[in-house]
Amino acid sequence: MNADDVRLVPARRLVVAPVDAAFELSPGDRPMVSAGDSVVVGAPIAERLRDPRFDETEVPAAADPHPGGRWAGQSRRGQERGAGGELIYEWHGRWRVATGDVADVVESPFAGIVRHVRPGTAITIRAAGRGIRGIVALGGPTRGRLQLGTDSELRSGGLDVGSAGTILVVGSRVDAETLTRARAMGVCGVVVAGLSSKERRDFLASEARQRAALHRLPPFAVLVLDGALRRPLAGAVQAVIGALAGREVAIVTDPPMLVFDMPNLVIPPPPVDFVRIRGGSLAGREGTFVRAIGPRRFTGGAHLEAGIVHLPDGTDAAVPLGDLERFV
Amino acid sequence: MTIEPRAFLTLDTGAATIAAALIGRVDGRWRLVGSISMPAGADVDAVVGVMGDRAVAADPALAAALDLRRGGSVDLPRLEGTSHPPRQMAVLAASERAIDPLVATASRSGWHTVSGSMEATDPLAMSELLLRAGVSAVLVGAGAPPAADERRLLGELAALVAAVAARRPDLTIVLAGGMTDLLHAFGDLARRPGEVVFAPAAQRDLPGGPLADLLIELALPPDDAHRALGSGAMALAEVLDRRVDVVEIGFDAGTRAGALPGVGGGPPSVDLAVVPTAALAPADPDDSVVDRVGRWSTWGADRHRLRDRLRELRIAPWADAAGEGATLRMAAARAALERLDEWTPEWADRPPADLVVATGGVWAVAPAPTIALALVDVLRRPGVGQFALDHARILAPLGSIPDSDERRAMVADLVDDLLAPLGTFVTPAGMRDGRSAGSVVVRGPFGETRLDMMPGGLALVDLPPGAAAVAEFRFRDTVQLGGRGRHFAIDVTGGLGGLVVDLRHVPLRLPDRADLRGELLDAWQTSLVRSPVG
Repeated sequence: MNADDVRLVPARRLVVAPVDAAFELSPGDRPMVSAGDSVVVGAPIAERLRDPRFDETEVPAAADPHPGGRWAGQSRRGQERGAGGELIYEWHGRWRVATGDVADVVESPFAGIVRHVRPGTAITIRAAGRGIRGIVALGGPTRGRLQLGTDSELRSGGLDVGSAGTILVVGSRVDAETLTRARAMGVCGVVVAGLSSKERRDFLASEARQRAALHRLPPFAVLVLDGALRRPLAGAVQAVIGALAGREVAIVTDPPMLVFDMPNLVIPPPPVDFVRIRGGSLAGREGTFVRAIGPRRFTGGAHLEAGIVHLPDGTDAAVPLGDLERFV
Repeated sequence: MTIEPRAFLTLDTGAATIAAALIGRVDGRWRLVGSISMPAGADVDAVVGVMGDRAVAADPALAAALDLRRGGSVDLPRLEGTSHPPRQMAVLAASERAIDPLVATASRSGWHTVSGSMEATDPLAMSELLLRAGVSAVLVGAGAPPAADERRLLGELAALVAAVAARRPDLTIVLAGGMTDLLHAFGDLARRPGEVVFAPAAQRDLPGGPLADLLIELALPPDDAHRALGSGAMALAEVLDRRVDVVEIGFDAGTRAGALPGVGGGPPSVDLAVVPTAALAPADPDDSVVDRVGRWSTWGADRHRLRDRLRELRIAPWADAAGEGATLRMAAARAALERLDEWTPEWADRPPADLVVATGGVWAVAPAPTIALALVDVLRRPGVGQFALDHARILAPLGSIPDSDERRAMVADLVDDLLAPLGTFVTPAGMRDGRSAGSVVVRGPFGETRLDMMPGGLALVDLPPGAAAVAEFRFRDTVQLGGRGRHFAIDVTGGLGGLVVDLRHVPLRLPDRADLRGELLDAWQTSLVRSPVG
């Protein structure tokens, strides 16, 4: 193999560090941490308003009102304090305050150090640990014990209550019904290679309906590692996930990532010439990159830069370089 | 002592594609020696190395003349252009009527936009929109002078934006039109790290102009490849002394640059539009995007499957590029061209360009006639137009040369190499269906070709690249072909796709039924790749 040739294959990072995860805030949400704070797993980091609204109020100058500041509300005779919240802007001598009646607590799904707190925008925490990057994460930040499921498609009937409290790795693909059932059975999250647009839409609609209900939902997230089509998890990713089985991990949504804190876990880099075929008729297969062979004509008359890949069954295949990926 | 290099590299690095080209000094002028396009994520030095080694292997004598040896290309000087991902701008106005021209201008000026008006949007939602982490600039505008329906809401709008500006000092604030009168609401600007910029009011039905120029300045850094395409197009127009349109469909945005050479000693000019929503595969394709791609697709997939494929195209734009993937790419490219055309309506009021140059990664693996057909399917104007491809992706790196004389000289040297002629399209409009529209005789270096013109189809005349001919059209009825008339004699030049007489409707009419539409699109495609007449 020419060592330069394999560098023509697009590279993807297997494990990412450091991990800076953002937790979105809206006007009225109350951060409970400050920049530089150290947080532990499960520490409350913010109160998120469920149904925020604007109130108008007069704020005395002595309270030093400013945009983004908090206003606790004034005591009223014979009553509790008035509506408090986040000061947004002043107009004609009265402040618009973002407030709400019910707030949910957002907990940090991992230990780390708070880097930035921007009320109304986001809290950014640098995780103690590393992460496996995904394509998208649906839902909210969550954590749980990693449990390996099936290698192929998980059906709703394949779930049982024994998976409660876990983050389940379900292989190539999952449907919305299974995701909804998983949430109902106390599963904290799902990691999957592919999630089709239809299942994604149906799951998000189901989530929206449940969030519209008054009760607080337990955290749940779906981390999609590869894309929208059915394909098995990459072997290199499976190896890392296998090593994490039974350990506490977290899913964050921004960036979409599976976060784990195991400083002693040694992740050997995959062999330099190890490649995965992510598109075309051989999608999902893995092998050894032999050499680049220059432009070749493929189906439909497309001329594409290609390489020879040696597959585990002993055969060689000419594959467009754009269909390949390697992990670094 | 400084030794002038005999060769250098151009690199156009985008989010999806790395395009490298090797330029060498041959016989006293710069020539394109080799080029290569690879998926982004590949190692740039490895890509450059492969290209250089291929050039050395192909012509060792030329390589020796250029002082180029195996493995040595990575050390050559580089001229680079990089496509930066578009950022997000919040566009605000007092009234719904005022918001439309602002959104139309910002959306074609390199910005993803989110918008709201005091009239229709809850102030809490507007605050949330401005505080989003992804928003990096705010355009808040009003008419100059503000209309009656705006005036009563402008004060509160200024208070809202000023409050957010105080919380996010990094945010760039653009005050347009009548909003500039409310600058006092923003307090002491000298202590603010983010810019507060005054801008002219947006013009209704004219999204280009000074506000668009300003927003492009703010959106794109000076070395941005989209922006450099404007300068490259202008240099090309000057060198060729022709009206040139450059059309790019990229991973993150579509770009359109219309350049005019200087007339009567005046300076050349260029109008540049960068439209993020005209990207090849938007990150989250909604129904309108999917349906548009479906309209151009011969694949027959349902909406969900098509959306899945578009998501995959976004995630790995070079994967699955053969077979059905190639068809999907061209359908997505046509849909993106449509969006680009819609966001740049001012192009419709201009005379058609003499030369349309296609560029961007989407065309890297498509056959030449297919590219020309995709362009002419969407950017339809009655008249005669030449189409070419910036096949080595060097127009943007050349456009990034800061000195205009040097840039022009470089383009003049390379003009024969940088454009791959796709062909000439002759598109008459106003023919009657159901009967022959007349005939055309093409007299060229290889003899005479006569064709009967049947409306609704494409007629191909084999005219190789570089060959010139005269096409004499005789229509039965008066048609529009540049001007109106029945007899036309037109100078045409050949290309990889030859000379194409496009007798389809302007604008194109496609059947509603998907199967009929697919058959028709297939038939047009096939008519260009089968053996031509001549």
